[in-house]
Amino acid sequence: MAKPRPVTGIDPSRRVRPNARRILATRIDEVYQYDGLVANPANITDLHNLRIAFKRLRYLLEIFDAAFDADLEPFLEQVKAMQDLLGDIHDCDVQVPMLEAHLAWLERQEATSVERMLTSPRRTASAEDQDVALERFRSRLDAARRTDERPGIHTLIAMRRAQRIALYGRFTSEWRRIKHERFRQHLEHALGIK
Amino acid sequence: MARAWDVKGLAPNARFRDAAGRIILTRWREMMSYREGTLAGDDIEELHAMRVSSRRLRAAMDAFADVFPARGFRTYLREVKRITDTLGDARDLDVAIDHLTVLLPDLEPVDRPGLEGLIDRYEERRRAEDAHIHALFLRLEQELFAPRFEAWVGKHTGIDVDELQPSPPGGR
Repeated sequence: MAKPRPVTGIDPSRRVRPNARRILATRIDEVYQYDGLVANPANITDLHNLRIAFKRLRYLLEIFDAAFDADLEPFLEQVKAMQDLLGDIHDCDVQVPMLEAHLAWLERQEATSVERMLTSPRRTASAEDQDVALERFRSRLDAARRTDERPGIHTLIAMRRAQRIALYGRFTSEWRRIKHERFRQHLEHALGIK
Repeated sequence: MARAWDVKGLAPNARFRDAAGRIILTRWREMMSYREGTLAGDDIEELHAMRVSSRRLRAAMDAFADVFPARGFRTYLREVKRITDTLGDARDLDVAIDHLTVLLPDLEPVDRPGLEGLIDRYEERRRAEDAHIHALFLRLEQELFAPRFEAWVGKHTGIDVDELQPSPPGGR
């Protein structure tokens, strides 16, 4: 997670508004530093950092809301919407590797249990006993297939990947829209940032 | 999501230091109002509300960091971060369990064992998180964190929490 840039020139004995302007100007700038970097869907870390930058900006707008005359609610809603969208993308980015690791663990469990069944020290004496043993082996395999956890995890991974593609598409169109609508300029104007 | 408590006496032209005390102490009391419900564990929304409040508190501390001496500030911020993170781990599991449970009936039978297995594992981890939460709040209580924190904020901002008396919107 990217650390917030330090803000200089804060004077606690002054009023909230001039100090808040300094802090907010820096945090708005931090959001826009990811413009360009997030044009690539594979830039997971930049997308995550942009989410954090939006989150910091959102909380600051909530905290300093009372110090400004302008109605900051529409800006807050927009920032929150972007944060939520990027949060959903981040969830997919975190979950897919976790599910893949879980799948690998299930594969290892499966290999170990098959190995154990095949190398069991119990040996049958007669041909009739061998038939019984083979039938038991088949029935255990069928039962194992019915309770196999792997297909569900494969499905979940596929769902998350598809969701990620759709969410990223929504994000890029929203990001383009807020830039086109000059969100930054309007917000800075409302806050009196020059 | 639980509504943030209103900050009493926060004038638009307030001094930065004064606003810091009022906002941080209000967010602190707001967060702690969910402590009993979170520890009881009967309603996952109590933990969610506590986590949201802890994030608001952390954000307020970050915003007003310049009001406080760096050394003490880092110590208190670290503890608040620990609260957020501990609650966050449990909340993430609550959300994951809920999401998978909703998804389950719409899946093909062949896919269900995978999700059921995952839900079982998440529920097991979630029970372990309860123990972490209890241990954290027990330690904070033993270390008298609440009165120390409130006194420290008061000392550097001039706001007395007993005079401020933060309270929820409409009573709780």
